[in-house]
Amino acid sequence: MEFTELAALTIHDVKNRLAILAGRAEAKGDAETLHGALEAAATLTRLLVFYKAQKGALGVDIDAHVPAELFAELAAEIARQTSLTVKIDTDHAPTLWFYDEALIRMVLLNAIYNALRHARTTITLFAAQHGTNLLFEIRDDGPGFPPDMIDQPARMSALSREGTGLGLHLASQVAAFHHNQGQTGRIELKNADGAAFCLLLPQ
Amino acid sequence: MAILTNYSNKSVLILDDMPEMRSSLRAQLSSLGCEKVTVSGNVKDALQHFTTTRFDVILCDYYLAGGTDGQQFLEYLRTRNIIGRGVVFIMITAEKNYESVVTAAECLPDDYLLKPFTAEVLKMRMERLLEKKDRLARVDQLQDKGDWNGVIASCNDILAAKDRYMVDVMRIKGNALLFAGQGAEAVEFYRQALTLRPMPWARLGLARAQQQQGDIKGSIETLEALIGDEPRLMAAYDLLGKLHLASGHTETALSILENAQTISPNSLARHRAIATVAEKKGDYARVEQALDQVVKKTRNSPLRETRDIAQLGKALTEIGESAKAVTLLEEARTNFKSDANDPLLAAVEAIAQHQAGNPEKAEAALARSMQGDVSKLPADIAMTIAKACLNTGKQTEAQSILKNLVQNNPESTGLHEEISSVLRDNGAGALSENLIKESIGEIIQLNNAAVLRAKAGELSIAAEMLTDAANRLPGNMQVVSNAAAALLFDVFNNGVDADKLRQAQSFQQAVQVQAPTHPKLAEIAELMNRIRQKYSAGKK
Repeated sequence: MEFTELAALTIHDVKNRLAILAGRAEAKGDAETLHGALEAAATLTRLLVFYKAQKGALGVDIDAHVPAELFAELAAEIARQTSLTVKIDTDHAPTLWFYDEALIRMVLLNAIYNALRHARTTITLFAAQHGTNLLFEIRDDGPGFPPDMIDQPARMSALSREGTGLGLHLASQVAAFHHNQGQTGRIELKNADGAAFCLLLPQ
Repeated sequence: MAILTNYSNKSVLILDDMPEMRSSLRAQLSSLGCEKVTVSGNVKDALQHFTTTRFDVILCDYYLAGGTDGQQFLEYLRTRNIIGRGVVFIMITAEKNYESVVTAAECLPDDYLLKPFTAEVLKMRMERLLEKKDRLARVDQLQDKGDWNGVIASCNDILAAKDRYMVDVMRIKGNALLFAGQGAEAVEFYRQALTLRPMPWARLGLARAQQQQGDIKGSIETLEALIGDEPRLMAAYDLLGKLHLASGHTETALSILENAQTISPNSLARHRAIATVAEKKGDYARVEQALDQVVKKTRNSPLRETRDIAQLGKALTEIGESAKAVTLLEEARTNFKSDANDPLLAAVEAIAQHQAGNPEKAEAALARSMQGDVSKLPADIAMTIAKACLNTGKQTEAQSILKNLVQNNPESTGLHEEISSVLRDNGAGALSENLIKESIGEIIQLNNAAVLRAKAGELSIAAEMLTDAANRLPGNMQVVSNAAAALLFDVFNNGVDADKLRQAQSFQQAVQVQAPTHPKLAEIAELMNRIRQKYSAGKK
């Protein structure tokens, strides 16, 4: 058996164990352990997706989904793991949009975990129609992104304060998988009253 | 949230082979207030619960021990109508699953849930899906009943609201148009849907609609382009393979399916499809190779199919391994109650026993295969029984079965050739020409007799004669369409009769589905119109 194959199976197994651990922590109301287990599992999910994308085996399954529901679900999941305030603003989001829900969820969850690390009091999940795109935006009220990240968001680097950069690298790759009628998805990093991660997806 | 969904009355089944996951899920459900929870560790045990409990929600892990997976379990439940469309089926996986692209739409779960998830997320998903089932309850019921015209009308109501279920309902409507035999409307509908976005399901639907309309070339083009863009869409390969097979390009069909198999190597459906094509080609070694794996994999699982055993037994007999075939077939018959009197299995066994030199056992197997009404069986099964009859010297029985087959499939030259070659192989070549001619002649006589009656003003008698014949020969489009027309003509002249109208409509629909370009359909539609005008005018 190749190392990569064994690694993929091991990731699968560890994720199952983390799921059980998360279940126990949730039942006890232990937010910190729950957060630790879920975040670790999310890291492994990204690693697995990265591996599959590199092998060319990442199937992308774009279908109609409800953006407001995705945010409601993510917010509910996060609320159990943090004492920060999680706000949702989907008033101007379209009812339906086309995307691969599992992949988009993974990208947004990563952005939310990053925001949780830097926010002072609040993170906001904002979705709205933006021209011919759907905009998913994750905002925090922390110190904002360092300037060199804003210039080159998708660059992979050695382990730093922001991790390996795999999350952002995958985010831009996943965004690019979403294309229709000559338009392609993309990510943008902005600093306003904190950091804002933007994911734009064409219809 | 202000409104709390009441889960206490919802019955939930958990199927997971890992004990810790089962108890974790159970704890999550109980924290949501679910009280009626059944837990199962394997498919066999789970199926047992279906005999006593009606579940509202099924939570099933994708990976199950014992050579099966959640997808196979779901396909089993759906294809045998063990669960209706109103039941929520959630597939739990540890990673993003690609089955959604690989699987036929009717066998898709309602949702995938990626581990790990919190009780909160589970709750929201269940709420969301139960809400959807509520909204689609009528559409689901009508689909379960097979009332496709009703489904279309009900879908149109929901589509008018342009809500979040729009795309789900579009998918259902397209499918219903195809099942209702409205090929032209389906082509138009899918083309319209594709202007929204080139959704793979709509492209596949378009290909099916084109096929139904007889536009085989267009259908093949649609599918080839689709496979180019979506190489994982197994259903596209399946349909493309079928189209080539129907056009007699068995070699091409086989290579398409083998190509699909390299992408989805574990799919039982693929092995089965390959076996079917190889059988058409007469390549029984390939049939044996494909089905041997399927039978080994499903041997002790509830997912085993009797047809696999029959097909494998036949292939073994054809390649001269009749002893192996006999062992396989006898084992199936003695180990599985449901197989004991299966007509196909019995017919295949008769041939195998005959070849293996066991005439008494062959005789007994043949008798089992003919216990029921052979004329009601699908063509391929009836054909196998006829072969078994010829093998064991029962010419008269064979002829009567073959005659019925010809009359029920008067246009199918492929089947006629098969019948001729079977008769030739069994030393009755001289018979074949006459048998086909006479069988078709009988039908022409029947039609002529009915026309004479009608001309003599005996419309009800003519309609009755043709209705009887149509019920006996549901595959004979000439008879079925004439029966519909005769019934309508009778109603038009002699007054409305709800039973006759219903019967005529069901014949009309049968023709629409099996032969959407049949010339008689226009006349039938015209008669329907005239009846409507005549009797609605009378009401005013």
